[in-house]
Amino acid sequence: MRKGGEARTRLLLITLIVTALFLITLDLRGVGLLSSARQGTQTILSPFQRAGNVALTPFKNFLSDVTHLGRSRSQIEGLQSDNAKLKALLLTRGNADAQLSQLKSILDLAGTAGYKIVNARVISQGSNQSFSQVITIDAGTKAGIKTNMTVISQSGITGVVKEVFSNSAIILLATDPAFRVGVRIAGSQQIGILQGRGSSVASLQLLDNQTSVKVGDILLSRGSVANRPFVPGVPVGYVTAVDNSAGAIAQSASVKLYTDFSILGVVAVVVAAPSINPGDALVPAKPQPTPAPTVTIYVTPSPTPTN
Amino acid sequence: MITRRILISLPMILAVYIFQEAIISQFRFLGGGFSLFLIFSLIWAVLSLPEVAALIGFFAGVLMDISPSSSGPMGQWAIIMIAACYAISYFGAGNESLASNPLGVTILISIVVFFLEFTYVATSALLGVQSGVFSHIILTIAGITLWTLIVTPIFLPIFSRLHGLAFDKESSI
Repeated sequence: MRKGGEARTRLLLITLIVTALFLITLDLRGVGLLSSARQGTQTILSPFQRAGNVALTPFKNFLSDVTHLGRSRSQIEGLQSDNAKLKALLLTRGNADAQLSQLKSILDLAGTAGYKIVNARVISQGSNQSFSQVITIDAGTKAGIKTNMTVISQSGITGVVKEVFSNSAIILLATDPAFRVGVRIAGSQQIGILQGRGSSVASLQLLDNQTSVKVGDILLSRGSVANRPFVPGVPVGYVTAVDNSAGAIAQSASVKLYTDFSILGVVAVVVAAPSINPGDALVPAKPQPTPAPTVTIYVTPSPTPTN
Repeated sequence: MITRRILISLPMILAVYIFQEAIISQFRFLGGGFSLFLIFSLIWAVLSLPEVAALIGFFAGVLMDISPSSSGPMGQWAIIMIAACYAISYFGAGNESLASNPLGVTILISIVVFFLEFTYVATSALLGVQSGVFSHIILTIAGITLWTLIVTPIFLPIFSRLHGLAFDKESSI
């Protein structure tokens, strides 16, 4: 009896492992049935994700408030009593305003370059279990979105459309290690490849060993053939550190991405780009330092010296 | 008997999977966060017979593979989860003091999650799927393990009771 049980368990294990290996083989050979299984899953999950997003928005806002407490604690404490009543009233309005502000900035960015965009809300942040950095948005093929389209936020590039469904789409974020975009340095027009590193800092590899890059250089997307996956001229980030290793063929650098991936609420998918390259039109303005107030003291000597 | 157990387990696995994808994935946790679905599958496996655990691992792995946010090929999570669930159940079945000890189960599940993620990265590398820079991978694995260590004791009594109710037996934890 015991021997029979063990043999059955062994047979079951072998069957399951062989089935899993069979699935891996089919997937690697590009069998469409398996990719449509993922599409079907997203179609089923999409309504649940929308409902979850709607239900959790106030809670997420609250959590966001809590996590930002430490940064400006003294300021918050001073304003807390004044804001208590207003916060309750604005709890639901706050999210809409934030999204409106993000949307306005995106429209400004897209309008300057002449991009035709489709706006979408982020309905899921994806999972880190598989080491992929993706988000799900609430617009899909019905809104004119296709795979390999550029996704932008209020301040620059966000990612690229990885998969698209009828009412939703999966966006591969610029922070994902699989993300790569051809970039050029604003002004000097040197070109390179930018790759995600899993955080808000990406790595840049210049293509020409005769050129150089310096801290503070601004990077823009170079654009792809027929503007897919990338339209030209989208701000990507700025150089924060340069690696001048003697053995390297070409210079490499660390780049801080413009997009703040922790507050993505609204994004826009560029569905059509202008026929004219916007060039450096979208280069963000450098922050202007606040002038320090100068105090001039005029001293008038008294006509008669005291003592 | 196995068929009955699987038929009872499957809707629960599906429910937790939808909860994971619709609710938990709304949040971006520091250090990678946790997968409630993974924790549920492993707890369910540790409380089940090895045969049932292997089947649960297979179904859980396939669900993780068809998750839209999964980047690896179909079947990658399935094969890892079969091995993990079978192993964790085998250890649990062979060690009564471990399977009935909440602290032991929590530590066991956290260790298994650590090895699961590590194996996933290793197999991804073999299959040509990029997982990121080494330091980020290490930080993410450490983060996920730590989150699992924190979250498992909270959900362990719930999942254990659920298992007890589903199979008409006293909760062992």
